[in-house]
Amino acid sequence: MTSRKLLSEAKLWLVAIPVLLWTLIPIYHIFLFSISTKDSAFSGRLWPKQPTLHNFVTVFNQDHFYLHHFWSQIWNSLWIAVATGVITLAIATCAAFAISRLKVRGGRTVMNAALFTYFIPAAFLAVPMYKAMGTYGLLNSRWSLVLAMVTIASPYAIWVLKQASDKLPWELDEAARIDGATPAQLFRLVYLPLMVPSLVAIFTYALLLAWNEYLYAFLLLSHENTIPLAVGLGHFLSSDDSPWELLMATALIYGLPPAAIYYAFRRYMVGGLTSGAVKS
Amino acid sequence: MASVSFSQIQKSFGKTPVLHGISLDIADGEFMVLVGPSGCGKSTLLRMLAGLEDITAGSIAIDGRVVNELDSKDRDIAMVFQSYALYPHMTVRENMGFSLRLREEKRNLIEERVAAAAKILNLGPYLDRYPRELSGGQRQRVAMGRAIVRDPKVFLFDEPLSNLDAKLRVAMRSEIKALHQRLKTTTVYVTHDQVEAMTMADRIAVMNEGRIEQLGRPLELYDRPANLFVAQFIGSPAMNVFDGAVKGGAVEALGARWPASFSKSGGLEGQRVKYGVRPEHLEPASSGIAAEIVVVEPMGAETELVVKVGDTSLIVMTRGRSTAGPGDRIFLAPDPAHAHLFDAASGLRI
Ligand SMILES: Nc1ncnc2c1ncn2[C@@H]1O[C@H](COP(=O)(O)OP(=O)(O)OP(=O)(O)O)[C@@H](O)[C@H]1O
Ligand SMILES: [Mg+2]
Repeated sequence: MTSRKLLSEAKLWLVAIPVLLWTLIPIYHIFLFSISTKDSAFSGRLWPKQPTLHNFVTVFNQDHFYLHHFWSQIWNSLWIAVATGVITLAIATCAAFAISRLKVRGGRTVMNAALFTYFIPAAFLAVPMYKAMGTYGLLNSRWSLVLAMVTIASPYAIWVLKQASDKLPWELDEAARIDGATPAQLFRLVYLPLMVPSLVAIFTYALLLAWNEYLYAFLLLSHENTIPLAVGLGHFLSSDDSPWELLMATALIYGLPPAAIYYAFRRYMVGGLTSGAVKS
Repeated sequence: MASVSFSQIQKSFGKTPVLHGISLDIADGEFMVLVGPSGCGKSTLLRMLAGLEDITAGSIAIDGRVVNELDSKDRDIAMVFQSYALYPHMTVRENMGFSLRLREEKRNLIEERVAAAAKILNLGPYLDRYPRELSGGQRQRVAMGRAIVRDPKVFLFDEPLSNLDAKLRVAMRSEIKALHQRLKTTTVYVTHDQVEAMTMADRIAVMNEGRIEQLGRPLELYDRPANLFVAQFIGSPAMNVFDGAVKGGAVEALGARWPASFSKSGGLEGQRVKYGVRPEHLEPASSGIAAEIVVVEPMGAETELVVKVGDTSLIVMTRGRSTAGPGDRIFLAPDPAHAHLFDAASGLRI
């Protein structure tokens, strides 16, 4: 290895190590708490004297005041995340196809207008959204959060998919039209199969966005049985004497699905989310 | 089996006119080549026939039926694109059978037709491969297979060979030609390569700047180009053309007298003309117009000489091999029967 290579490698490590620590220490902290007993949680050790899985058992058995609805809450989280993913995907795919491939009049304008909404911070929109959901009588229904999340995820999803669609060779559409395809057949038999990587990426994006959402969930849902786990976790902090070890054990469980999904689809995520992000 | 007829076709993209009233009748079973320089509008004309561009004015008929308002899918045509446009997520078999699948044909009929086309095109071993696993020439054949399977009224080709290397291009050229002789399907073939046009066409339409300059059989265009553009476009190496003036039954040009045979109408004394003569009609002779050899390019069966008459370079093609070298002086004796005269102002044949 030449000294120049060595130097650039060293520089890379100089950046990588702090970043790695920065991300890993909190996670390790969560992990540490979750395998400690209540008494030893704050002992300040790097590894507990008697590591235990008892906290997880408590969580799974819903054996604590804050955990009485654990299973229904994690189900809510999952339901909301999957519904958001599916609906966002459906809307964004159709919109991208219409704008990019069918060249629908005014399509680009609509897309740009949708993207423009990102100039308004989501937190500002929370109150109007609350009002709207109230008007439609959706408050406290999981649908309210799903709709809110779809609203927030769609503009970006449409944009990414439109960029990806633009990259498909135009001749494919022409060949399919000459082969006798109607627009619907073109969509189903040519467009969708070729868009799979981007579709997976966008589905996961919307899914994780909804899974991780707190503010809107907190506002729109208030019943113990409709709130997702993120809000349920928040409730742990409502007393002075929070059961930190249980909170952290639950948090760890809550954090696993996104990690698993990201791992499973990592190929698509990197390719899909960046493809179209830059004009190559 | 169908005829195709363009009448007074015009096309504008926005305010830019691209085609200025093209009329062309293609007979049933004919192999028509549209040839012209880049940007002359030949692809546009083909795409209008395919239904991929709207028609600004005029009408297109297939088999006597006007198709202006008809969707591509209802025109019963098949097109081979320059980029092949194979569906990347389908195997060769699925690519070729796609149009039939859309028509909801029976499975075994699709199988049968695909197998038959694959046999014609030697694609049998590749039927279960994906396009990315094929070479350029094989992809080209799949694209043709996709067209054949449909048994359409008209085949359209848009520069189908331009992505292939020179050798493969020649091979595919004869394959396409053989295919046409076998299927006898009306074909419209677009290329900018005049050699392709000459070798494949029943008739050629030479296009330039949105107009048809001349329409005719390959050798007609070669022997009697109607204007300067066609004269210089058709033939390789290109025709030698230079300025001159009619004088006493011949043309004075480059400080020499060039023999010419005039038709009854043309060739007024003193008229300014362009004198054209093909390289192979400028064979060296024992006497005639003096020229000096600049470059000798032996090609085996023929030898190409670049010579100077005055300050003008001309190309001379001689049969066999030449012992001459650069700097040698030779004489040229053009055959008046093979001299082409064009009016200097209008460019039209005299
Ligand atoms: N979609 C379009 N919008 C605007 N102008 C276009 C469009 N398509 C083609 N043109 C113009 O029309 C003219 C003819 O284009 P066309 O593609 O038919 O040329 P061509 O003869 O096929 O050339 P080539 O040999 O390069 O393929 C060109 O000047 C081109 O710039
Ligand atoms: Mg073209």
